[in-house]
Amino acid sequence: MGLPWTEKYKPLRLSDVVGNEKAVTQLFSFLKSWRRDTTKKAVLLYGPPGNGKTVSVYAAARELEAEVIEVNASDKRNLEMIQRTVGSASTMSTLFPVKGKVLLIDEIDGLSGTEDRGGVGAIISVIRDSEYPVVLTANNPWDPKFSSLRQYCQMISFNKIRTPTIHKVLRRICEREGIRAQEAALEAIAKNADGDLRAAINDLQALSRNRTTLTVEDVELYPRDKIKSVFDVLAKMFREREAQAIVREVSSTDVDYEMLMHWISENIPQHMSDPEELGRAYDMISRADVFLGRIKNRQHWGLLSYVFELMSAGVSLSRTVSKTHYVKYQFPSWIRSMSKTRATRSKLSTIGMKIGRKCHVSSSGGVEYYLPYLEVIFQADPKRAAKIAKWFEFEDELIEKIAGDKRTYNKIVKELRKE
Amino acid sequence: MSEEIQMWTEKYRPRRLEDIVDHEEIVNRLEGFVAQKDLPHCLFAGPPGTGKSTAALCLAHDLFGEHFQGNFLELNASDARGIDVIRTTVKDFARTMSLGDIPFKILVLDEADALTPEAQQALRRTMERYTRTCRFILIVNYSSKIIEPIQSRCALFRFPRLNKEDIIGMLKFISEKEGVKLEDDGIEAILYVSEGDMRKAINTLQAASALGESVNADAVYKVTGKARPEEVRQMMELALSGDFIKAREKLHELLVNYGLSGVDVVRQVHRETFNMEIPEPWKLRIANIVGEIDFRMSEGANEEIQLSALLAQFGLVGQGKEKA
Repeated sequence: MGLPWTEKYKPLRLSDVVGNEKAVTQLFSFLKSWRRDTTKKAVLLYGPPGNGKTVSVYAAARELEAEVIEVNASDKRNLEMIQRTVGSASTMSTLFPVKGKVLLIDEIDGLSGTEDRGGVGAIISVIRDSEYPVVLTANNPWDPKFSSLRQYCQMISFNKIRTPTIHKVLRRICEREGIRAQEAALEAIAKNADGDLRAAINDLQALSRNRTTLTVEDVELYPRDKIKSVFDVLAKMFREREAQAIVREVSSTDVDYEMLMHWISENIPQHMSDPEELGRAYDMISRADVFLGRIKNRQHWGLLSYVFELMSAGVSLSRTVSKTHYVKYQFPSWIRSMSKTRATRSKLSTIGMKIGRKCHVSSSGGVEYYLPYLEVIFQADPKRAAKIAKWFEFEDELIEKIAGDKRTYNKIVKELRKE
Repeated sequence: MSEEIQMWTEKYRPRRLEDIVDHEEIVNRLEGFVAQKDLPHCLFAGPPGTGKSTAALCLAHDLFGEHFQGNFLELNASDARGIDVIRTTVKDFARTMSLGDIPFKILVLDEADALTPEAQQALRRTMERYTRTCRFILIVNYSSKIIEPIQSRCALFRFPRLNKEDIIGMLKFISEKEGVKLEDDGIEAILYVSEGDMRKAINTLQAASALGESVNADAVYKVTGKARPEEVRQMMELALSGDFIKAREKLHELLVNYGLSGVDVVRQVHRETFNMEIPEPWKLRIANIVGEIDFRMSEGANEEIQLSALLAQFGLVGQGKEKA
């Protein structure tokens, strides 16, 4: 079947890169004008996957006749590792005729946990010592662990690729591959990819395997939609009455099992209303979670089957009185509220930390023991609120969070300016 | 430093052992250490707001005087959890020589019950190894969460809840200094809501004083109406009444909007249990459930799942049907 099409049709020249014209130009001029004493010696390309970040780096380097030295996120990157691969390239410049090089550290999102301890620090020192421009890519550069790193980088945003643009690329590939495709089919693939060109090309290749035509029907049969499969699994799981069959059903899904556990937990009450059933079902899922914890803490992967058994059959067979009925499954509200409130939570923990520094408590203690009272004071007495805010060194956004509403916030800020 | 301290808990925090109200016996023993210029490793256990951190700070001030800075380090285990912190920060501090005439430093590890057993093992070795140059004061809510080998190396001090009289004395003292008119029913109300927790008493006083001319019972209840235990109690009531879904919504609110950790929630649920107006036998059944979930949470992967299970069990208590 040969090369993956994402490789085969990879843009070689900058002008072949689709979408994000402005970002690509910025990247090119960064690389072209880069000097050892540039203030921002690195550039951080960020945005959702499959929108051309890495491809642009290669294309730009090629135009500049520079060699790309890449460290991928999937490599084991600790301090030593990065310095060995990237560091040596950046300091051995004198041994080779000075031809340009570009250091690419791809997908830094993966840097985390103990294994990569010092990874961010290592990248910073590589940037500092580097004789060549350093390019980083990330999906989410606003993770707090990157806050120091960001100061060394010029930030360039890569957006999702527009659906019509993806559509156009797909059509061009079909022409080259000799596939007769319905426009509607290509459009469906493009739309489904949601701005991820790489995914769209992969889908196209998978769908047109051994074919010369591609119709809308072909596309619709293709099960990319994971949500749908979760619904199916849940419906079968709660209906089925035989333990082994339930377990088989649940372990056949490709949904991550932690996510699946949340799906199940969310929807238990829809199938069971009797308190005894609920009590039993949640006891089961709670035990499943205990096993999951043991797996995570001690790497006992052999325990995984207990997790599946308890959270699927254990939960389902807890239903003894309630009748089966059609259920419209809900997305786990917990996951939704966690992602919706990420910013709020990070503000809260900053508030807690600042309180903790002055009042001898932990950051969660700051939130628990002090914040409710601060909220009362902020609402009632802007003058005192301003003094307190200054003493704790709360920034404006934190003051706004404690104040609760815009009007109160404005009053407090006015008092602050007076001081 | 000339900047005025804004929170009254800090402004009126005792600086020296002799300033501490209540806990006479504990203070006497600590003063004995100061007189001898020696100190064993200590374990301070007791509920929040009973003066554990304050006692540690005062002890260190009395002992080190002008050399306080540099000889004293306060770490919060729930912020700086894990073996790595013990290995690095603690070790670096513990192994270097002290300044002045006291031959050791003091390291306070607050909320030490947040440390995992593995981290506590590492801590135990560090405590042993650097005993000559550093004395540890571990602060916990429950001494039982500290592993035996550490407990046996520490002098244990139990901090009980503060006496009414001492809280009243403090409230009156602060009110006078701050020009707050404190009514008798305000005092009663603060005593009621603070339950022997000095920090809570003082914070309530400060917040209530922001609401108007004088601090009376109304103002106090207005303040506490905003504080979290109400939310926790509502969640418990919903769960007991069998409305699992609403109770779970409340739970998410507590975890997300108020930024409480799962452990915080369990702790507050436990605290609230005995204040609720429910049949007495229920309280013990609840305690049993809370204890089990508390344990599972320490073993499990996801706090939200465990807390959901807690609420589901409450539904059974509310029906008088849960398993023994």
